[in-house]
Amino acid sequence: MSRVSTPRGYRDTYRDIEVSFKVNGREVRVKVKPYERLLDVLRNKLGLLSVKEGCGRGECGACVVIMNGKLIPTCLTLAVRAEGSEILTLEGIAPEGKLHAIQKALLDTYAMQCGFCFPGVIMASKYLLDKNPDPTEEEIKDALDGNLCRCGSYLRFIKAVKLASKYIKEGKVFFDESEVMR
Amino acid sequence: MRAVSSIPEYYKIVEEVFEKYKDEEFLFVGRYSQRWDSIEKIKGRALFTADFTKLYSNLVYVHSVRTKHAHALIKSIDVSEASKYPGVLRIITAKDIPGINDVGYVIPDQPLIADRKVRYVGDIVALVVAEDPLVAREAGELISVEYEPLTVITNPLDVVDLMTLKEKPHVLVHDERGSDILVHFKIRRGDVEKAMREADVRVEGVYKTPFQEHAYMEPEASIAIPEPDGSVTVIASTQCPFDVRRAVAKVLGLTLNKVRIVVPAVGGGFGGKEDVANEVAAKAALAAVFTGRPALALHTREESIIGHSKRHPAIAWYRHAAKRDGTLLAVEANVVMDGGAYASLGPFVPWRATVHATGPYKVQSARVDVVRVYTNNVYAGAFRGFGNPQVIFAVERQMDRLAEELGMDPVKLRLKNILRVGDETVHGQKLTEEHGVGLEEAVMKAVEASNWFELRRKYSEITGPVRKGIGIALFYHGNSIGVEGADYSSVTLIINRDGSVTIRTGLTEFGQGSTWGLALIAAEILGVPPSYFKIENPDTSATPDAGPTVASRATVMGGAATVVAAYKLRKRLNEVASQILGCDPDDIVIRAPEVYCSSDPNRKTRWADVIEQSFWLGVPLQEFGYYRAPRALWDEETGQGAPYITYTFGAVVADVEVDVETGLVRVNKLYTAYDIGKVINRMGAELNAEGGAIQALGYALMEELIHDKEGRVSNPNLSTYYIPTIKDVPEIIPLWVEARYRKGPLGAKGFGEPSFNAVAAAIANAVAHAIKTNVAELPITPERVYMMLKSRQT
Amino acid sequence: MFRFDTYVPRNLRDALEASRIYGEELLPIAGGTDLMVLYRQGLVKFRMLLDLWPLRNSLSYVRLEEGLVKIGALTTIDVLESSELLKDKRFAGFRDACRKFASPFIKSVATVGGNIGAAHPLSDIAITLLTYDASVRLKSLESERVIPLKNFYLDKRKTIRKSDELITEVFFNEPPSNASSVFIKLDRRFGHGMGYAAVSVYAELDGELVEEVRIAFDSMGRAFPERALITEGFLKNRELSEDNISRAVYEVLPSEMRRISDYRASAEYRLYISQVLLKRALLEVSKRVRGE
Repeated sequence: MSRVSTPRGYRDTYRDIEVSFKVNGREVRVKVKPYERLLDVLRNKLGLLSVKEGCGRGECGACVVIMNGKLIPTCLTLAVRAEGSEILTLEGIAPEGKLHAIQKALLDTYAMQCGFCFPGVIMASKYLLDKNPDPTEEEIKDALDGNLCRCGSYLRFIKAVKLASKYIKEGKVFFDESEVMR
Repeated sequence: MRAVSSIPEYYKIVEEVFEKYKDEEFLFVGRYSQRWDSIEKIKGRALFTADFTKLYSNLVYVHSVRTKHAHALIKSIDVSEASKYPGVLRIITAKDIPGINDVGYVIPDQPLIADRKVRYVGDIVALVVAEDPLVAREAGELISVEYEPLTVITNPLDVVDLMTLKEKPHVLVHDERGSDILVHFKIRRGDVEKAMREADVRVEGVYKTPFQEHAYMEPEASIAIPEPDGSVTVIASTQCPFDVRRAVAKVLGLTLNKVRIVVPAVGGGFGGKEDVANEVAAKAALAAVFTGRPALALHTREESIIGHSKRHPAIAWYRHAAKRDGTLLAVEANVVMDGGAYASLGPFVPWRATVHATGPYKVQSARVDVVRVYTNNVYAGAFRGFGNPQVIFAVERQMDRLAEELGMDPVKLRLKNILRVGDETVHGQKLTEEHGVGLEEAVMKAVEASNWFELRRKYSEITGPVRKGIGIALFYHGNSIGVEGADYSSVTLIINRDGSVTIRTGLTEFGQGSTWGLALIAAEILGVPPSYFKIENPDTSATPDAGPTVASRATVMGGAATVVAAYKLRKRLNEVASQILGCDPDDIVIRAPEVYCSSDPNRKTRWADVIEQSFWLGVPLQEFGYYRAPRALWDEETGQGAPYITYTFGAVVADVEVDVETGLVRVNKLYTAYDIGKVINRMGAELNAEGGAIQALGYALMEELIHDKEGRVSNPNLSTYYIPTIKDVPEIIPLWVEARYRKGPLGAKGFGEPSFNAVAAAIANAVAHAIKTNVAELPITPERVYMMLKSRQT
Repeated sequence: MFRFDTYVPRNLRDALEASRIYGEELLPIAGGTDLMVLYRQGLVKFRMLLDLWPLRNSLSYVRLEEGLVKIGALTTIDVLESSELLKDKRFAGFRDACRKFASPFIKSVATVGGNIGAAHPLSDIAITLLTYDASVRLKSLESERVIPLKNFYLDKRKTIRKSDELITEVFFNEPPSNASSVFIKLDRRFGHGMGYAAVSVYAELDGELVEEVRIAFDSMGRAFPERALITEGFLKNRELSEDNISRAVYEVLPSEMRRISDYRASAEYRLYISQVLLKRALLEVSKRVRGE
């Protein structure tokens, strides 16, 4: 394509900004655009596809990760804010070949339907259990209030978080995939 | 109906298998088992359509520029400035379409890109293709369109009169058709006027239900890849890959075998992804073909809400006539469904509504008229229930009001009239043992579990700021597509040389897990554990056309096809095993990894050996299972015939409380009793019951998509379109009745939609009980409760 | 333009300098929960965002200093919720507002300053702060000014803040021991929501006698949170009896509240629910002062 003249308002000077941070325990350095969202960077530049875009407005919970110990909506977060941070996504909550207690519990309670909301639900559940290892049903609902699940697995989420809490209290934080009940 | 000289083999197989397993204890069917895809999904590794962008480095993005007006003629469109915008690769307008500019699912009334006029706010006027989605969006703002605005129609009653159903003069949405009434379905049975005259009581009312948004968590997406031979592959989030293929081929002007549709993990469908993928895949395919690069068409949530089909709103006038003892004499109904701007599944939704319009009852006389009209609202199409929830709401409210008029308990009134084995439906279809008619048992289970009679009395005595109510609603739901089209399904079972099994089918998975049910059926018949199975992704180049994954048909139709394939394979395996072990083929027991003779278990071999032997003997280890449903019958003038192969039945009881000061309703318990024939996938059935109930709770209490007078959607996002959250969920008690359908796979019936159908009506009846007013409109928001209470006082 | 530049300041001074230089072209972004949504809807356009994130350490605090409760503008809602100071019954309304504010991940990033600066009627923290008669500290490169929150809003989505100013802090007088507050909002579901209406009530009671009362709603008729001054005037120095509450709610409030009808609710219902919520809030605040 040829540029006949610069169209009104056009700028092509959005310089890349280099951002260094830690993701799932690994140091990374990425070039991001000033207008890029953390969601886009995690997915498109770092291949962390578990982080989903469900609404782009912070209204569905599908895009949440844990950044600097806080559950945050990556669709509303500028990529430049990742600088110097530590980020945890679903890909990093358990060692290779293992499942975290929350994942195991969700499978044990047969909560899976389409699975699209699960990464967000798992991160929100982990965020809760990290702060509050023995939550009441009310506290579980408060913690997952922002995670929409249209397939309707909510009742199973409540059961699963209680079960995961039980596993963790028994010292079982990680499970072998082979332990999953088929 | 033309006479068939012999019964197709597949009917015989399905019935033979039904008989064989009738009293058997099942190893896999009906039991809990982990879905084949749950590990990859729990790890976040399952790839949904938009996730595939990672694989393509030179991807381009397609941005849809949508109309500013809900109804207008397009005088001209100027894309020159946008075309020159740096970063833009291509602008596509209607005139650039190489094939036919249409993506309509049933009838060709829906241009992909608007050419002559726009009919709703989601209509696309141009596509911008660029390497950066934001650049595409910026360029889109530079496209200028000259519109001649037309009167915007947002009220379906501006198109037809509710009582006469005659079309009113108005500025036509589809002027090229000459009329904005798309379809008109009828039932004419018996002598309604006589019944109305002779009735002891008559109850009449008007009931309204809103636009409902599917709000699946994964917005629409398609990635199109141009292939070296000029064909195109599209990864699409869809329920109907073969229909998408047809649409893409049509738009691109290609033959079907030059278009391949592949379906990865899909994040929810509920009927909303039956037809929109036609548009999304076609957009991506055009961009791919024009640029020679992989192209992503991805909707934002707002685009998803304004740009895909909705549940048809309905305005239903009903009149019921009954005898003093509660016997229903006649039902009259006029139903107007707002179809919005395009037909979508609109030719069929009102048909299902018509069939079910009188509820699961014996009705001597009936006059039903259902019309679907075009307006300039967002178009309406398929949504779980497909016209049934709308009429169930009206019918079940009517039944309760009739009960009140008669001084009868609502359950007792219903029991007096429900369909049982031997009864004729309102269409004159005789229900037999073969159909499986478990409605009465479902009612009794729900009534008993909910403590109905005691609470019905107790709750009506409560006074004070919080009232309680208990309500019931019944339904029936015809399985599969009836007369909507050719009803067939197919599955290919392949036993691989190492004994693992592959299932190939065009039926899609978007959360409901019905294809896992097919694996369980095959597992049971073959004798191998479900863990041996892999289910391939639907792929129009590799998996057989199984018909669309809609209408609660995947288990009953796909399952039947699976039975056929598994049966034939098993017969061959029995032969091979009998040669190895020396006992009769009918004597062979397969409990993989073991295979033995039932008369002498010490004579045994291994599954792997049987398979290997089959290979060497040249016995084919793959089988194509095909099943075509018995023909449905429907007379267009009278609505008499046999519209569906069988019916799923159900009864739902809702136990609610209402804060009469604020109007806020809390559902405490839902008892859902369903007759789905033989439960194949128990875990899937329970999840479906829970999920359908929650989605229907939303429909009952909080969901309504609102258009303003200009036809713009007022609440196109998830903070203003409210769906249930984890805090809104009641206790859900699923109850099962297995009145088996003889012609279904192991007796199974469909369940995808039934789990939604009657929940809102049950909640409405419970609220009416609690606040002692009529409830005639959904959703029952706090404001509507306030208005109902206010009108009761005056 | 949908693409934009982002200015990442080193410190507050740097941020204020950028604000001075770029003026209207530069918009400050705190949590982003409001701005990013307006942006994607095309309702707000800008060339550059001023990222306030690097300032969060110095501008996130909840402390008591010289008889003033001071809250840093970049204090996020979850931090506000868990602050020790606000666990005291004198600040109970803040706990209500934080708890029902929104989903947990929104609370992680949404800020007090943002809630004020967004100038949207249903701003739960701003509504609560109004009843504490809070003031907003605005800083520019060379100067600083303090504006009472009740004078901060000019119109829909418009505040008194100039483009070269940033909200750095909000503060109010430490309440006496006989004070408490309540915040209530109601929506059509039990899950998180904006609300049909929201009310905050602050009261200082001597037994049943109302020594001081401040009532704020999401809207009294204009498109931003305001206090119900006439209703306050009626209740002041009266007993908080059922009768007086009834009169305040059903006779006085309607005289100063104008509600609008829109697709979400009718004016009639909004007024009605405002009355119900106010009544409940007044009853509750009385219990809280008594320590129940």
